[in-house]
Amino acid sequence: MDFDFSEDQEQLRDAVRKWVDKGYDFERRRAIVNTGGFDRGVYTELAELGLTGLYVSEEHGGMGMGPVEAMIAMEELGRGIVLEPLAQTLIASAVLQTHAPADLQSSWLPRIAGGEAIVVLAHQERGARHHLDRCKVEAKEAGGQWTVSGTKSVVPVGDVADAFIVPALAGGQIALFLVERGATGVKTEGYVTQDGSRAAEVALSNSPAQLITRDGLTALQEAADIGSACICAEGVGVMDKTLAITAEYLNTRKQFGVVIASFQALRHRAADMKMQLELARSMSYYASLKLKMPEAERRQAMARARYQLGTSMRFVGQSAVQLHGGIGVTDEYIVSHYFKKLTQLEMTFGDTLHHLGEVSARMQDTAGVFA
Amino acid sequence: MDLAFTPEELAFRDEIRTWVHANLPKHISDKVHSAMRLTREDMQTWARILGKKGWLGYGWPKQFGGPGWTAVQKHLFEEECALAGAPRIVPFGPVMVAPVIMAFGNAEQQQRFLPGIASGEVWWSQGYSEPGSGSDLASVKTRAERKGDKYIVNGQKTWTTLGQYGEWIFCLVRTSTEGKPQTGISFLLVDMKSPGVTVRPIKLLDGECEVNEVWFDNVEVPAENLIGEENKGWTYAKHLLSHERTNIADVNRAKRELERLKRIAKAEGVWDDTRFRDEIAKLEVDIVALEMLVLRVLSAEKSGKNSLDIAGLLKIKGSEIQQRYTELMMQAAGPFALPFIFEAMEAGWQGNFPGGTVANAPLASNYFNMRKTTIYGGSNEVQRNIVSQTVLG
Repeated sequence: MDFDFSEDQEQLRDAVRKWVDKGYDFERRRAIVNTGGFDRGVYTELAELGLTGLYVSEEHGGMGMGPVEAMIAMEELGRGIVLEPLAQTLIASAVLQTHAPADLQSSWLPRIAGGEAIVVLAHQERGARHHLDRCKVEAKEAGGQWTVSGTKSVVPVGDVADAFIVPALAGGQIALFLVERGATGVKTEGYVTQDGSRAAEVALSNSPAQLITRDGLTALQEAADIGSACICAEGVGVMDKTLAITAEYLNTRKQFGVVIASFQALRHRAADMKMQLELARSMSYYASLKLKMPEAERRQAMARARYQLGTSMRFVGQSAVQLHGGIGVTDEYIVSHYFKKLTQLEMTFGDTLHHLGEVSARMQDTAGVFA
Repeated sequence: MDLAFTPEELAFRDEIRTWVHANLPKHISDKVHSAMRLTREDMQTWARILGKKGWLGYGWPKQFGGPGWTAVQKHLFEEECALAGAPRIVPFGPVMVAPVIMAFGNAEQQQRFLPGIASGEVWWSQGYSEPGSGSDLASVKTRAERKGDKYIVNGQKTWTTLGQYGEWIFCLVRTSTEGKPQTGISFLLVDMKSPGVTVRPIKLLDGECEVNEVWFDNVEVPAENLIGEENKGWTYAKHLLSHERTNIADVNRAKRELERLKRIAKAEGVWDDTRFRDEIAKLEVDIVALEMLVLRVLSAEKSGKNSLDIAGLLKIKGSEIQQRYTELMMQAAGPFALPFIFEAMEAGWQGNFPGGTVANAPLASNYFNMRKTTIYGGSNEVQRNIVSQTVLG
C-alpha cells in the first residue's frame, strides 16, 4: 500500500505540466475552440511529449507505460482543459494492443504512438444511452471482406480522426472493427461540443472494415473502463485547477470593503469543494489501480469511482461558478470553461446515475477498497 | 504506487485476525454486531484482554511498553477489531491522555499512570468542555488555584463521556487570566474519588446516560498531578487533538455497520427496492472513498513524503457517514423502528418486540445518538473553518 509516485512518474508530471503552463494557455485554447475545437498541431505536441505512445508497447514505438502514468498525464491535461483527445488515443492503443490481430497492430500502433494517426472509439448510438450492449450498426462479411453500416453519434474528433473503432453486430454478436475515415461510404458531420472540443456524427454505408475482435463486448467494456479511469484523472486535474482559480478569486475580489474570502459562508463552500476534490482524487487513484484487475472487480471499482467523480465534478463546477458571482457565468472569464468541461466529463462513458445503478446492482454483503 | 498491502502487512493482519477471533468474547461481539447496550464490565473486559496482550495502548511506542506499530499496522489492528465486533477502545486513557503523559509528563508521572492505562485497570475521563466552552474551548473557566503543594479546583465540566465510570479525569483548568485565553490553561490530572468531585449523568435524547456533568467544589489536587508546566496546557491539548488522525474517521466501523445495514435492509424487505438500495449504494461509495482517503494518509505517514493536511476532512466525512448508516438502518425498519422499549436493547431480553424482530429495537436510538458525531471533537462547522484555511489561507 503506497500512493507515492516514482521519480520517473514525477518527471512525467512535470513535463506535461510545463507544456500545459507554457504551451497551452487560455488564449491559445480559445482560438482553437473558435476554429472548431481541435488543433492537429497541438496533437503533434502531445506526441512529441511521448503521450500518444504512452500505452503503446516499446516494440511498436511507444513507451509501454501503465494506468498510473496515464492517470498522471490526464490529470495534468485536465488542469489545462486541453481539448485534444488523449483519452481516445489511450483507449485505441489499449484495445488494438490487447485484441487486434498482429497485422492491424503493426500497421496502426506505430503511427498512433508517433501521433501521425488518430484513432477514436465510435460507439455511441441514439437509443443506446449508456448501455454498451445496445448496438444497431451491422457488419456483414462477403468474400473475406467485412463491411459495416449504420450511424454512430458524438464521436470525439470524428471528422478529423484517421480511423474509428466501431462496435457492430456480426451475426447477432457485437464485434469490434477498425474503419478508416477515408473508406468508401463513410460520411462525417462535425461540430463543437459544450466543452469546446470537437465531435462528429459518423454515418457508415457498406464501409470496408477490418475485424479487431469477435468478442466485441468484452473489448468495448475494457475500452469504456479505460475511458472512465481517464475521466476520473482528467476530472481531478480540472477540479484541482478550478478550486485554485476560485481560491485566488475569493482572495482578490472585494465587497463590503474586504476580500470575500473573509466570509464564512463562502469559506465553508470552499471547504466543501476541497472535500469533494480529495474524495475524487482518492477514487481516481482507486480507479487507475484497479484497471488491470479481473473484470468483476474492475467494473465495480469503475462504477464506484465514477459515482464519486460525477458527484464531485458537479459540485465543484457549480460551486466555482456560484462563488465567482456574475463573472462566473461569462464566456470571457476562464472558470465557466472549467465548469463546462466538468459537466461534459460527467456525461461521458455513462453518467452518474448510470454508474450508481451499476454500484447498486453489484453490491455484496461486504464492501471496501479491497472488496 | 500500489494499492495492495505488502506481504508483511498482510501477515501482520492475519496474526491480529487470528488473535482477535480467539480472544474476543462472543457475548460481547454479539452485542456489538446487534448494537445492544454495552455495560462497563463489557468494555473493561475487552480492555483488560487487550491490556494483558500489550495491545490496549496499540499506538504506543516500545519505550513505554507499546507494540511500536507503524501507522499501517495500527490501521490494520483497528480494522480487525472493528470487523470482528470488538467494542471501541474507550479512548480517554490509552489514546488521549497517555500520549500527553508520554510527551510532557515527568518520569514519575509516567511510572505512576501509564501502567494502569496500559492494563485497562483504570478508567479515565476527559474534562474539557464546560457549559460556556464548547467549540470555543480556550474559554474554559474551571479554576485551579495554587495553594502550597496543592491546587484547589473549582468549576464545572460537562459532556464528560462515560464519566459515571471514571476513576481519573484529565482536565483543562484555568491557572491564569493574564494574556490570551490560551496562555492561562493548565493540564491537570484529578482523582475522581477526591472530596468535592460530583458526577451527574445527563440523560440524552435516546434515553441513555452517555455523558455527565462533573462538578469540582474546592477539590484538592496535589501539585505533582500537573502535567508539564503551568499555563502550557493548551499546547498539550493540541498535541492530543493531533494524535491518531485517521482514527477519528472510524472507517473500519463504518464498513462493519454497512454490512449490518445490508442485513437489516434484507430482513425488512427494502433490499430490492431500487430507491432504497441506491441510497445504500451511495453510502458504499462514500465509505470506499473515505477508506481510500485514510489509506492515502497512512501511505504519506509511512513514506514521510506528501504529508496530507486533511484531518478535518476525515472528521467531517467520517462523522457524516456514521450518521447516515444509522439513519438508513432506522428508515429500513420504518414503523418497526418506532417502539421505544428500553429493556429491549439489553442482550437476552425475552419480551416480544413489536413486529417480531428485536434487531430493530436500537435503530432509532442509534440514529438519535449519532447526531453527536458532527458536534463533538470540534463541530463540523469548526472543521470547515480549519479546512478552508488550507484552501484560502
